[in-house]
Amino acid sequence: MAFVNLQNVTYQYPLTKSPVLQDITLQIEEGEFVAIIGPNGAGKSTLCYALGGFVPHFFKGEFSGMVEVAGKKSSDATLDEWVLTVGLAFQNPFNQISGAKYTVFEEIAFGLENTGVPREEMKSRVEQAMAQTGITDLSDRSPYTLSGGQQQRVALTSILVMQPRLLVLDEPTSQLDPIGTREVFGVIRAMAERGMTVVMAEHKMEWIAQFADRVIALKDGATLLEGTPQEVLTSDLLTENGFGISRYTSVAREARRRKRWRADVPLPVTLDQAAEGFAFTPPS
Amino acid sequence: MHERLSFHIKRDSALHRLNPLTKIFLVLALILVAFLNPWYWTPHLLVLIAITPLSLLARVGAEYFRAAARLILPAVGFLFLMQAFFQPVGEEILFQFYFLDVTRESLMFAFSNAMRIFVMVSAFTLFLLTTHPSELMSDLTRRGLPGQFSYVIISTLQILPQIQARAQTTIAAQRSRGLETEGHFIKRAGSLIPLVGPLVLGSLVEVEERAIAIEARGFTSKSLKTSLHDIPDSSIDKALRWALAVIAILSITLKLWLS
Amino acid sequence: MLEKIKNNFNTQTWVLIPIAIAINIAMGQIVLVLRLPVYLDSIGTVLVAALCGPWAGALTGALSNIIWGLAIDPNALPWWPVAFFIGYMAGRMAQWGFFKSWWKVVVTGFVVALTAAIVSTPIAVYLYGGITASGSSFITAYLLQTGQGIWEAVFSTNFLVEPVDKITTAMIAFAIVLGLPKRTIGGYPKPQQVEAEGGAGRTQMYIAVGVVVLLVLFAAFMLRNILGG
Repeated sequence: MAFVNLQNVTYQYPLTKSPVLQDITLQIEEGEFVAIIGPNGAGKSTLCYALGGFVPHFFKGEFSGMVEVAGKKSSDATLDEWVLTVGLAFQNPFNQISGAKYTVFEEIAFGLENTGVPREEMKSRVEQAMAQTGITDLSDRSPYTLSGGQQQRVALTSILVMQPRLLVLDEPTSQLDPIGTREVFGVIRAMAERGMTVVMAEHKMEWIAQFADRVIALKDGATLLEGTPQEVLTSDLLTENGFGISRYTSVAREARRRKRWRADVPLPVTLDQAAEGFAFTPPS
Repeated sequence: MHERLSFHIKRDSALHRLNPLTKIFLVLALILVAFLNPWYWTPHLLVLIAITPLSLLARVGAEYFRAAARLILPAVGFLFLMQAFFQPVGEEILFQFYFLDVTRESLMFAFSNAMRIFVMVSAFTLFLLTTHPSELMSDLTRRGLPGQFSYVIISTLQILPQIQARAQTTIAAQRSRGLETEGHFIKRAGSLIPLVGPLVLGSLVEVEERAIAIEARGFTSKSLKTSLHDIPDSSIDKALRWALAVIAILSITLKLWLS
Repeated sequence: MLEKIKNNFNTQTWVLIPIAIAINIAMGQIVLVLRLPVYLDSIGTVLVAALCGPWAGALTGALSNIIWGLAIDPNALPWWPVAFFIGYMAGRMAQWGFFKSWWKVVVTGFVVALTAAIVSTPIAVYLYGGITASGSSFITAYLLQTGQGIWEAVFSTNFLVEPVDKITTAMIAFAIVLGLPKRTIGGYPKPQQVEAEGGAGRTQMYIAVGVVVLLVLFAAFMLRNILGG
């Protein structure tokens, strides 16, 4: 049995007319890094909420199918139990600050206080988590005085410190500037390298290509494509269905049309891959 | 318009080291005595022999006097004037102002009322100067106050300055576009809408996401909460709380007995 | 009883309360800047009461008042029971279905005003001997001068001042609720209390505004009669 197991998940928000997720079935192995891509409204966030237990526990609405993580079903757990298994971080760093704490250290300890972790263990876990995400130097700062990238790293640390079995990230850099984006992806890379199981909704293809083991393309709440980053991110189906694609892929595709692309090199997603494939006929 | 919301001054003093609950007992006892003791000069005496010396003991004398001068005195002074002019008691008229008589009694009455309010507010100020909000809330949570209260109090203290800043920016922005903050009443009332709309709706749509964020961190967990900080509660604290409780009960009994 | 209190509070309530308190205080200050003859410092309280219930409203009111008293105007501190009952009463009215159309909201505002007037009277009398730090005490002083008893004088003053403010407050809170996305409302404990009925349209709103204007005129007229007569 897979570590994460979704069976025929269909979901409709209250007061809406059509389902956002339609019959999604999906397996993820422990330690795998899965990226979810899709145009706006494809159901990426809702899928993240379903993994995190917020669909249907928080949002109510009509839910059918099954979400299972580490052998437990989300329908058998209450939300406060489920968040110990699946950690969720999302887009807006500012809204993820609890507001109930004055320093970054206290902010990260918030989840541990709530779940009754003893003081000494709490302190060592917070210190360890901050060291892992490289924010030890922010310890005594007020969370409100930080930059977006720093706030998002604090938010990630606040989730990681609770030691979830699965980490779900819903477009964690969509509201950050390039520097913040790089900082946050640095932390995510470190998580992936340590073997954390991660599901990340994201549209920055170059970054996905760097650490995803598998990519799932969602359209209108259903799976459109699934495979390695190379297969999925360069597929013609993406452009046909209104997905954004990496600029390197679109440049290479144009080069291929003009016969300027080496036939033995697949279409690229990142800059490094792109540099491989251009075939120039030097001017004579 | 932008007020600083944390009064707390980090210093090392006997008062800082007291348990927050002991200090709450102290504040409540001071207020009860000021309001219930029948002797006219009680509130004045409390300021002289309790609150002012305590502020010096806590090494926050300068900050205390500044808060008193900036916040408490103007408000108390205004109350004093209102009462002195408008309180229709007494015979011995000192002077008249239109239909208003200022009598010796109304002056005396106004003075003691103002002093009572002064005791109340300055006792709280002293408490806030020497107690960090998170220290207070940690201690109360440990004693059984639901953890959600701690969340509400502290996030209010942190959100308020932000919303005030946002309000100020909105006012400034609208003013530069010719918003009427002066002029006729109806014009000013009309300018309320472009001010309030964005301010209020903007903060309300964030509620759902912020709720998800704290639930993701076990906000609704049914397990017994623990606290990062250890708030000391010595035997001196316990003895002081008993003493203050006795003082409070005595002043209530005295009041009931006299009336 | 405890269950009834508890069902006012879910996570969205706890997140909303600090924002509502901040709205109360920021609005109170904006109104001071614009020098309008109302307070409008309970919009957040009424909002919480309508969306979450009377106890959540009461808590919001009391905390707003205490924080306002400690940080901005010390004279506000003793009045927290008034704010408590404003929130409580607004919540009860919403529970009874009086937060679904403009005219019902006007009724809610009026009942809340009456509650505020009743609760603040003993505080003004016992704590301040009738004369408080509010400008409206000018009216009380005049009524006392004309030989009215202290209770009547204080209550009449409150009753003259409160309705305009509280009806406007309730109407602004209702307008905000109408402006919120449906999905956002669904997450609060009592979304069914604010489901707008037929009377939530434009025409009804204009009539309601008209009622408030009439009330202002009436209050001004009464005031002139009292002070001029």
